[in-house]
Amino acid sequence: MNRSAIGYILGYVLMVEGVLLMLPVVVALIYQEQEGVWYFGTAFACVLIGFLITRRKPKSFLFYLKEGCVATALSWIVMSIMGAMPFWLSKEIPSYIDALFETISGFTTTGASILSEVESLSHTALFWRSFTHWIGGMGVLVFLLMIIPLSGGSNMNLMRAESPGPSVGKLVPRIQSTAQILYVIYFGMTVVETVLLIIGGMDVFESLATSFGTAGTGGFGIKNDSIGGYSSYIQWVVTIFMILFGVNFNAYYMILLKKWKKAVKMEEVRYYFFIIGISILIIFFNILHLVGNVWDALRHAAFQVGSIITTTGFSTTDFEQWPQTSKTVLVLLMFIGACAGSTGGGIKVSRIVILVKTVGKELHSYIHPKSIRKVKFEKKPVEHEVVRSTNVYFIAFMLIFAASVLIVSFEGKGLVTTFTSVAATINNIGPGLELVGPIGNFGSFHPISKLVFMFDMLAGRLELFPLLILFHPALWKDAIKKRKM
Amino acid sequence: MKKKNVLRKGLNIVIVGCGKVGETLTEQLTREGHDITLIDKDATKIHDLTNLYDVMGIVGTGASYSVQMEAGIEDADLLIAVTDSDELNLLCCTVAKRVGDCAAIARVRNPDYSEEIPYLREKLGLAMIINPEQAAANESARLLYLPTALEVHAFAHGQAEMVKFLLPEENPLVGMTVAETGKTGLSSEVLFCGIERDGNMVIPDGSFQFEAGDKIAFVASQKDAKTFLRRIGLQTNQVKDAMIIGGGKAAYYLAKRLLSVGIQVKIIERNRQRCEELTVLLPGAIVINGDGTDTDLLKEEGLEHIQSFVPLTGIDEENVLLTLHARKVSNAKVVTKINRLNFKTVIQELDLGSVLYPKYITAEAIIAYVRARMASLNSNVETVSHLFESRAEAVEFLVKEESPVTGKPLMDLHLKSDLLVSYIFRDGKIIMPSGTDCILVGDTVLIVTAHTGLRDLEDILA
Repeated sequence: MNRSAIGYILGYVLMVEGVLLMLPVVVALIYQEQEGVWYFGTAFACVLIGFLITRRKPKSFLFYLKEGCVATALSWIVMSIMGAMPFWLSKEIPSYIDALFETISGFTTTGASILSEVESLSHTALFWRSFTHWIGGMGVLVFLLMIIPLSGGSNMNLMRAESPGPSVGKLVPRIQSTAQILYVIYFGMTVVETVLLIIGGMDVFESLATSFGTAGTGGFGIKNDSIGGYSSYIQWVVTIFMILFGVNFNAYYMILLKKWKKAVKMEEVRYYFFIIGISILIIFFNILHLVGNVWDALRHAAFQVGSIITTTGFSTTDFEQWPQTSKTVLVLLMFIGACAGSTGGGIKVSRIVILVKTVGKELHSYIHPKSIRKVKFEKKPVEHEVVRSTNVYFIAFMLIFAASVLIVSFEGKGLVTTFTSVAATINNIGPGLELVGPIGNFGSFHPISKLVFMFDMLAGRLELFPLLILFHPALWKDAIKKRKM
Repeated sequence: MKKKNVLRKGLNIVIVGCGKVGETLTEQLTREGHDITLIDKDATKIHDLTNLYDVMGIVGTGASYSVQMEAGIEDADLLIAVTDSDELNLLCCTVAKRVGDCAAIARVRNPDYSEEIPYLREKLGLAMIINPEQAAANESARLLYLPTALEVHAFAHGQAEMVKFLLPEENPLVGMTVAETGKTGLSSEVLFCGIERDGNMVIPDGSFQFEAGDKIAFVASQKDAKTFLRRIGLQTNQVKDAMIIGGGKAAYYLAKRLLSVGIQVKIIERNRQRCEELTVLLPGAIVINGDGTDTDLLKEEGLEHIQSFVPLTGIDEENVLLTLHARKVSNAKVVTKINRLNFKTVIQELDLGSVLYPKYITAEAIIAYVRARMASLNSNVETVSHLFESRAEAVEFLVKEESPVTGKPLMDLHLKSDLLVSYIFRDGKIIMPSGTDCILVGDTVLIVTAHTGLRDLEDILA
């Protein structure tokens, strides 16, 4: 294993994080908050450590899939450990475990919080909390690929490990250009949303924080009632942008290239909007009698559906009070998640579609036992390898889910809370139901449960395997073993 | 998109066919900063290569319109078709020309087309048609004209040559330093530009001392190269006869070339029908029907007295063994053809003499074309050759304009280490530069260097 190259990448990640931490420092300067000192200190430490590590250039950049996975997983862990420092040092979140939970929840764009009261936090902390969403949304390694051309090819393995979806492709031949295009789209859309929110009467700080939360499909609110207190115009803007950030970014690239037809014809995007439409309809009729007003019902239904399917986790109302059908729909949407190649989490629409089609194929083979049939997606036959890995992904997901539920259940918090808390973290959503519902939080859990949630959040964001591979004994042997040559 | 043009440093190149040549091209061209899209029918091959290199891969038939569209042929600058099939390659290029209006290069191997290649190239509007067997045959012929040499490359439109040879024991050069050879007038017209010793490549300075067993590369004009070799007591006449084992395409091309300059050719081929074809195609050659690996047959046909021996069977192992055998029983000049690139390092350690890699030659010719195209965009590279298994490059630059490099005596320039200005080609004459010479606008300059990927003459400065 190429340990020196992994170390080198980690060094760069730290430097990038250090630079990004300077933004909250700027916020602290604007609002004259003392907490900024800790952010500056952490930023300085990150840059210094990163600088020292990257002094030693690795001999080769030979990178295989396993190195890509390990580098990605370790980067996220290191980033979270450092990112939690300022919360803890500034005593705004007194327990380090809680601070780490909050940071991982931020970077993985989950948006689950241990804080019962966010409005008392400093602007600096609120900004950093939301900003972690934006960093984590597109992924820090994709960002890294954009700024440093890692010579020697094979850096596709880094992108593959970090980007969501069953098979990760490129938009253009060079990975650096691909990463740049993705970030240009991401950045552009964030700016548009911020401007629209400012027009809606939000102040600049709030609109930035809200945009970060939407863009990364994160969901940290800066108000205790999330988005509920804002005007319906703002709620609609957030709804639309949440849904847009859950679309496969390839579609936006097509639109940029003026290939409208191709963008509209993307099968995954079509299913995505179909699922959203159906869910909104069901919930709309289900809550109509509760809300009374047609427009309010539609707004709440659309907002909650958009928030949950894209795994953002903002809320405008306490859907805890909604009828069982609506809640069930929302819980099901949690698992579906957004499109592959978006900033959202969950199992991903494309995987669900492939899984459903595989079931269809299986049924077909019962009727015509000797028939040959290939699962098709986006008008192309799906490679057996992709179908297989999708199935394995689903199984692994369910296994981790079940194990997590079991561990958390020892707290005796009730099945709905236990089940939805795990679902909300592994799918990177944020709020669940009952105790962890839109007005609840994760603060009351035991540290062990919090560790489980942290693991689930990272596993969900990195699509399980890059994180799981860290636990493979062969990798440990490989890492300890002295390198030949 | 504006953004994209800013990012673009290299050409957009589509490569159809991911065989060995395709892979070599991919490796080299990505290293030089081009945007590569690969097309192949085999999904696993695409998967492997996209994992290994920073390229985009598409599974499908390269000649299909929709596949080419998907590969972005509209924005492509060049399509290179190197699949197994000549016809598919030509079709790929034709489609690409029509759809994408880009330059196209095809590999065409069938000798039936070989005569018509210039015609085909012109009529189909292709940038280049490359025939690996023919290229390999040309290269081996060049070696047989100057049998002492391990490698011969032509530069400056044939005015200068780079010759690589093995320094035998008890040669006057052994024990001398580069500076001493200059003083004694032994090497006044030649410039040593690379020495390989024990598998390591060095670019020599004046204090470098020659040892027996060194592989020495030098640059000189064609005449001076021969004079120099003769002066240090090496044979410089072209061979009188050649024995070729195997009667494949490469053998045909080689025999044809050798016959045309009056070298006697003997071909040993196993297949009787092929033998008959060859006698028709090559009236001057002696064609023998027999097993080329039969040592008795080789002896009977006079291997011991033959001046050159070229095993060209389709099996690398056979070629290597035949070479080793020939080197043992005779003093013939041997040129070995190796198809697979995988075991290059091992083969290098064997004492085989001259070794040719047709696939490498193909890739190199295409890369030379790509570089020349880049030259019109933003670099001044004229030609590039690889030396010492691509551990060093000989790059020819055309000096188009004033730069920090021009007009100053070479000794005042702060050059990179492992880099040498080999010659300056000015007004049709080769100048072997000393410290007081300057590079002027209009010159062609050959740089030998261990740094790969030079794009501009200014890159030679440290």
